Amino acid sequence: MNLRCLSLALLSLLVVPGRAAAAPAAVEGTVALPKSRAAPVMTKRYEIVAKAGVLSTYPPVAVVYLEGQFPKPASAAPQQVAQKNFAFVPALLPIEVGTRVEFPNLDDTYHNIFSYSPAKRFDLGRYRSDERPLPSVLFDTAGLVVLRCDIHEHMRGLILVLDTPYWVLTDPAGHYRLTGLPPGHHTLKVWLDSRTTLSRPVDLDPDTTLRADFP
Amino acid sequence: MNAPPQPKPSGVASFRRKLLVAMMLVVSAATALSLFFAQRNVADAARRDLQQAFQDALASLHAVQDVRHAVLAERCRTLARKSRIHAALEDNALDLLYPSSEDELSDAMDRDDAPPREPSPYALHARFYRFLDGRGAVISPPDPAREGRLDPAEEARLALGAVPDRPQTGYLARRRGDGGEPVDEIIAMPIVSTESGDVIAALVLGFKPLELAGPGPTAAIRSGIWLDGRLHLPALSDPARAALAARIGRALAGPGRTESSFAVEVEGTPCLLFFKRLNPDSRFPPAYEVCIYPLTAAVARQRRLFWQFIGAGAVLLLGSLGASQFLATRLSAPVEQLAVDSEEAQVRRQRAEAALEVTSEELQRSARFSADASHQLKTPVTVLRAGLEELLASESLAPETREEISTLVHQTFRLTSVIEDLLLLSRMDAGRLQIEFHSVNLTPLVEGWLDDWGAQPDGLDLAVETDIPPALHVSGETRYITLIIQNLLENARKYCRPGGRVRIAARAEGPWGILTIANTGQPIPPAVREHIFERFHRGPVGENVPGHGLGLNLARELARLHRGELRLSRSDEAWTEFEVRFRLAGPAAAAEVA
Repeated sequence: MNLRCLSLALLSLLVVPGRAAAAPAAVEGTVALPKSRAAPVMTKRYEIVAKAGVLSTYPPVAVVYLEGQFPKPASAAPQQVAQKNFAFVPALLPIEVGTRVEFPNLDDTYHNIFSYSPAKRFDLGRYRSDERPLPSVLFDTAGLVVLRCDIHEHMRGLILVLDTPYWVLTDPAGHYRLTGLPPGHHTLKVWLDSRTTLSRPVDLDPDTTLRADFP
Repeated sequence: MNAPPQPKPSGVASFRRKLLVAMMLVVSAATALSLFFAQRNVADAARRDLQQAFQDALASLHAVQDVRHAVLAERCRTLARKSRIHAALEDNALDLLYPSSEDELSDAMDRDDAPPREPSPYALHARFYRFLDGRGAVISPPDPAREGRLDPAEEARLALGAVPDRPQTGYLARRRGDGGEPVDEIIAMPIVSTESGDVIAALVLGFKPLELAGPGPTAAIRSGIWLDGRLHLPALSDPARAALAARIGRALAGPGRTESSFAVEVEGTPCLLFFKRLNPDSRFPPAYEVCIYPLTAAVARQRRLFWQFIGAGAVLLLGSLGASQFLATRLSAPVEQLAVDSEEAQVRRQRAEAALEVTSEELQRSARFSADASHQLKTPVTVLRAGLEELLASESLAPETREEISTLVHQTFRLTSVIEDLLLLSRMDAGRLQIEFHSVNLTPLVEGWLDDWGAQPDGLDLAVETDIPPALHVSGETRYITLIIQNLLENARKYCRPGGRVRIAARAEGPWGILTIANTGQPIPPAVREHIFERFHRGPVGENVPGHGLGLNLARELARLHRGELRLSRSDEAWTEFEVRFRLAGPAAAAEVA
């Protein structure tokens, strides 16, 4: 199931550059991720951890995205963050502004998904897996949305609402490759955790892959 | 004889009074001393008791606080588990913090409209609550109606420099509309993230302070809280409160002082004041529980003790009064006796002195009389003798007449002799006879007289034995010593039986020169012996012996004037012996002469 979600995300990643103008550019590089004591996890499963009020993924991954003046897409396809085994899946979901996210409950108990985040405050109330239609929220403001369950306090999920269609998750080693980008002067940003976002200006040339390492 | 004189009552009374005063002093001192120690003991005991009561009350207060802390800690753990609290705190949605915690904390609040509940330390009757954020700053509620209203200054005082990791107790002076300043107890409980273990916030709740449990319902104990230099004790008047607050402030000036006590007078009542820090190790400003225990009970006890001791002292004093009376009687008996004795002695002496005076006067008078009489008599006797001798000279007298006249002449000589003896005696009695002490050799005096004896034609045929040293010098005046010897020898001769013996011996013995003159004759009967030295006494044996009864008396008086003595040393069938002793002449005599 997790794999399916991931493939869905990868699919969307492939779809987005397709809509861009011809001769797209690309950026690749390595993000220096915080050292993790655990061994690299190959399953690509990670969870959200809070430390000193800072939320990040564990094992650490980063979201690399390009900011700039891009034309608004007509509408993004709805995304899903499921609650499965008392965890949000995926735990970190970058989306573009205007995306609706559905929150299917795949557990046999109630969940109460809510968020107090400034980017989006909502409270879906209690519902079970048979709740139809699937409770969903439209995220119309860029920013980090922390997902919580009122019943299960340990549950954390992050939705990174981005004002761009160009973003990619690094692998656990910090490698990333962002392709199909419009050439021009933009800002390349790396979201590391709820408090840390790195950025650098980039000039993208058509058909060129820019190397950008952080930091 | 008079009745024995009463001793002066003042003397014994003063002795008794002194005894009484001494006993009073001792009893008073003992009473005062025991009173002092007992009072100090009572004061100490009262202080100890009150200290214990204070500590107990504080201990129960702290126990209740601990329960409260426990309840609150549980409440905070529950809060910390709440996602919405975390969400509000972590997701910068502080405006949602209070609504999110409302359900959890609503029953902890003391609602004004709620019916009054039975006060229980386990129930939470918070007046207000506030959250502190991760830096210890107060998060103001959007609508403080539910969370309890605080003015901004009060709210600011809830802030801590950082979120506490342990419960913190503090006190907050509230300002009320009516001018009162109630103090609320505030407890800051850390909210610990259940995920990270970090303190992410704190919950501060304000309570009505717990009342100190007094040791008894009647004990008028006043308790309050000293905070920031002010004493919050509504039972006291403002000036008393201010004075006490200053006093406590001074008592706290020393470093590390967290508790103490002192005696103080509060509104005219002696009290014992205890204070102890209520919130040791708290990040909130220090607050002190202040308890004022009136010492009325202790004072009453002291007063009772005082009267008991005074009573005991009085009883003791009364007892000692009796005892002193008894003792004084017992002890003063000898003193009294002494007084009586001395009184008696004095009276006797006075009487004796008076008698002596009378006697002396009589003696003087009689001596004068004797002297006058002697003088008056001597002249007529001389005239008489001259006339009689003239008659004897006439040729025409018949032999019988001549014999008669001759006897009369002889009698005039006796009369002269008596008169001279009387004259001498009267001089001695009047104390006018002064002996001029010289060294007198007894031997020639005695021998001279014995020579005279031999020449007397008396036909007594006496055998005279002498045992006289060649020289025996005694101290005295020759003419009087001669008179003594003459009288004694005359006596010996007179009273010796015819053909008897006379023994004269002289010897020196110690300081004395002793001369004994003995004769054989009728012994002097014992009943008479003590009278033979009296004037005009003539023994029964001597009725037919010439004499006038003055010789022995005169001799003894003269011997005594010579600081010697004359006594009858022996009188039996064999001998009648007189012994006269003189002081031996020597340096001593010479010195006395000088």
